[in-house]
Amino acid sequence: MIWWMWVIPLVIIVIIALIVVYYINRIVILSNRIDNAWSQIDVQLKKRADLVPNLVETVKGYAKHEKTVFSEVTKARENMLKAGSPQEKIKAGTALAASLRSVFAIAENYPQLKASDNFKLLQEQLEGIESKIAYARQFYNDSVLTFNNTITTIPGAWFAAMFGRNKTRDYLSVEEKERKAVKVEF
Amino acid sequence: MEKVNIFDQVGKNKRNSVLLSFLVFVILFALIYFISEVFLPEVAFFMLIFALVFIVIDVYVSYNYGDKIVLKSVNAKPADERKHRYLIDTVEGLAIAAGIPKPNVYVMESNDINAFACGKDPKHASICVTTGLLENLKRDEIEGVIGHEMSHIRNYDVRFGTLVAVLVGLAAIVSYMFLRTIRFSNIRSENERKGGAIILIMFIIAILLAIIAPIVTRLVQAAISRRREFLADASGAELTRYPDGLANALEKIKKINEGKMNVSEAVSHLFISDPNRSPLDNLFATHPDIDSRIRILRAM
Repeated sequence: MIWWMWVIPLVIIVIIALIVVYYINRIVILSNRIDNAWSQIDVQLKKRADLVPNLVETVKGYAKHEKTVFSEVTKARENMLKAGSPQEKIKAGTALAASLRSVFAIAENYPQLKASDNFKLLQEQLEGIESKIAYARQFYNDSVLTFNNTITTIPGAWFAAMFGRNKTRDYLSVEEKERKAVKVEF
Repeated sequence: MEKVNIFDQVGKNKRNSVLLSFLVFVILFALIYFISEVFLPEVAFFMLIFALVFIVIDVYVSYNYGDKIVLKSVNAKPADERKHRYLIDTVEGLAIAAGIPKPNVYVMESNDINAFACGKDPKHASICVTTGLLENLKRDEIEGVIGHEMSHIRNYDVRFGTLVAVLVGLAAIVSYMFLRTIRFSNIRSENERKGGAIILIMFIIAILLAIIAPIVTRLVQAAISRRREFLADASGAELTRYPDGLANALEKIKKINEGKMNVSEAVSHLFISDPNRSPLDNLFATHPDIDSRIRILRAM
């Protein structure tokens, strides 16, 4: 007879349940996106480390005496490969980028090296990787921003607290120096 | 300007794509039915089945292989791993920044500075640039253009745009084919006078179709919101973090381009700048005014 007395609460409960499911899924998706963004950075960091031996060999052919630079860059690469946590990897990656810059700096003194096809290709590849790392960090930080916004603003904050996912994620700091190094004009 | 965000735009493009496919389906079906009912009533039922099969195949092919058809029609070649290294790296980098898979990269011959993206979704997408673009633009300008195209892919503008090019563009091709068949059917007509009258009527309809199809294409292209170009400019700049790159590129496009690229009118709305400038542009422009785009980018 008075069917609506139980239909209306039921409808309200269903609607609330749907909203909860939506927000929980959204928080999980956004959090996964950050992890995916990190793996993008990781891939590029590894690619860069893989290019180092090749670069060292090429430069050695023209500039045998620059031993300190070679050992520095090789060490930086080893540190990079040993690094475990994202923070460590970022730090080691920055160090490797700095030592790579010194390799390219000494190349200025060896015109033959600079003119060699192999060297040019390596330079181009490393530059491509540098810009991809910069973009990957940008995507990472964009993803963190979206995630943090979702779990700190209402109503997302309620659901995040309910399911214990209300911890904001950290941004990767982008060093100004590193970003400028990407833009090398030929 | 109405406020739009990416999620609205994605939803709208998906809805528009379904709507367009449905409309083309209904119109083509009605057209084939009408023509066969009037001129070949004895085989009308057979024609209906033929129409159904034909249109289903047409929509399926347009949806799944539209990008291939478009790329083929402009004679685009895959980018060279070595020669176009910077282009490929830029596309890969901006795909990472946009959080989508890396699109295929193509290059087409033309002195004009131009580029377009096509495909059904971000997983199946391609970006094509002209040789003129590679020769005339500096690196940060190329980056700006690629950022713009990447936004089209992320927003699903490519799905709707490619469907418009192939589904609506096909109407023009079909009407030409229709015109050819009439000449052929002339030989078979037994009653000379009656046949002559039918041929005359069909001829008139064919001519009408041949005229209407390109106009419909134009109208649909003009109806594709110009807002989507502004939106792609803005979200492209958000990806590169450097709106001046695209603004400088647009300025060079304005200065250098002749607008006489050798591409079909049916695909022109896909390009970042109008590849065929024509007198019709005053009535139904397929692209927004380049000066206002530059102005908005400069103000970011």
